[in-house]
Amino acid sequence: MGLVGLELYKLRRKRLFLMVILFLAVEIGWAFSATSISISRNPGSAGWEALIAMMSSMNGLFLPILTAVCVSRICDMEHKGNTWKLLLTLSVRRGALYAAKYVAASLVVSLACLMQAVAIAGFGLMKGFEQPVPVLLLLRFLLGLVITNTGVIALQQWASMAAKNQAFALALGMVGGFIGVAADLFPQGIRRIFIWSYYTGLSPVTQSYASAHIQFVVRDMGSLLPVMVALTAVGMVVYLAGSVYVSRQET
Amino acid sequence: MSEIIATYQLSKRYGDACRVKNVNLSVREGEIYGFLGPNGAGKTTTLKMILGLTRPTAGRVTVFGKGLEQNRRFILSQTGSLIESPSYYGHLTGLENMRVVQRLRDVPDRNVEEALRIVRLEKQKDRKVAQYSLGMKQRLGIAMALMSFPKLLILDEPTNGLDPAGIGEIRELIKALPQRYDMTVVISSHLLSEIEQTATSIGIIHEGMMLFQGSLEALRNEKLPTILVKTQNNALAQELLARKGYLPARDGDFLAFENLGDDQVAMLNRILVECGMDVLRIEERKKNLERIFLDMTGKGGSL
Repeated sequence: MGLVGLELYKLRRKRLFLMVILFLAVEIGWAFSATSISISRNPGSAGWEALIAMMSSMNGLFLPILTAVCVSRICDMEHKGNTWKLLLTLSVRRGALYAAKYVAASLVVSLACLMQAVAIAGFGLMKGFEQPVPVLLLLRFLLGLVITNTGVIALQQWASMAAKNQAFALALGMVGGFIGVAADLFPQGIRRIFIWSYYTGLSPVTQSYASAHIQFVVRDMGSLLPVMVALTAVGMVVYLAGSVYVSRQET
Repeated sequence: MSEIIATYQLSKRYGDACRVKNVNLSVREGEIYGFLGPNGAGKTTTLKMILGLTRPTAGRVTVFGKGLEQNRRFILSQTGSLIESPSYYGHLTGLENMRVVQRLRDVPDRNVEEALRIVRLEKQKDRKVAQYSLGMKQRLGIAMALMSFPKLLILDEPTNGLDPAGIGEIRELIKALPQRYDMTVVISSHLLSEIEQTATSIGIIHEGMMLFQGSLEALRNEKLPTILVKTQNNALAQELLARKGYLPARDGDFLAFENLGDDQVAMLNRILVECGMDVLRIEERKKNLERIFLDMTGKGGSL
């Protein structure tokens, strides 16, 4: 736990939280203005489901990039000042440091997701939606994000730690953002193999184009559960692979 | 005096290149051990292996009489080090950098203040390290290494990037450490002059091999002095002696002989005299350290 605290201490003056908030402000602003427009055109569709579905598809674009930037900021500082060897001579084990960075990155990104959920609730209340705040749906929304993040953070951390040049990790994040936003257009079999497709893939609300109108369908939790378990397992495997890979490198 | 660091046949290979070959390094308690060698000689690699940053290909290391592999945590808790370029978080201030180390070392605030005072960074401690000069970063690195006032301090090229005044200060600091804080110090350098002024004992490494280890005095006595002989006719004398198996070099007005024992000098004199050649002078020239290094490594005083 001490090492995680130390990672958060080292984030001082990085303005990471400011960056996260500004980034989220853009995303949330975009999602809400799009929802506002669709509500004003079609007042009947005003509802929590539409809002959550909109936010989920925005996350497909924004969260891979936000995650890439956060993880890169957390990992890059060890490359920049040659601090790996300093920490190792202070008897910090590589695996422990890797874990601390993973937890710190997860905390930061999870906090961003939590802020999204709060913003969704706030927006709905402000717009005067008829139904009360759907706490269960929002919790499922958060759960889907956290599970997807498990894998994406592990992947980004591997990239950011293994390659000193952060351009590689950031480019990976951007590719992820592209795939995340385009994933729904891919056939199911292909979509599944991309970790970034699960921002929408694990969303509790999905859009259906069965009739002339867009319909928002709340997914059955039971159908998502096996996917969640499988994705968590994949995330852990990627994490372990990255940790072992980095632990074997020599300074 | 007990042995603080010992390496046994320590070797490191990178691919085909052997960077360190069978190094047996020995540092005794309370010493200032100067580890001298040209750039790329294997100094840093050896020090990294002593700290467990790099795994040896062969051989083993003991520190404080304990095997490194099994006692790494204990050994590192008693060792302060600065390896290669200084390590720092540029976006944090000097003090915050110290706090990072403080948390991991678990030492009180007064150690932080004392270490900053020793390297004279107390006035700059609230500036971001990214704005520090190289010399200041180096001082910060030394402060981080000193913070826990460890039993063993390993400094790899500690005066890199320091100005002459700074070099002098660090030299005085290093000299004072064994008595003031009961430390054993290992410093590496490629500068002979630096080691000569601080070290009580030295090791010379070249192309991965330890060429000499011991006191400076022992190093001076290691090589026999050069014998200079002046005769009436040096050219003829050279020819005469060549027939008897002596191969002197011409050195101004003298013939210079390397590695001659007293008997051989007497013999040489007799040969010349018996041939009717007057010997005008026989001189002995002690080699200075720089000359000895030059002979050992084929490079000049700046190794």
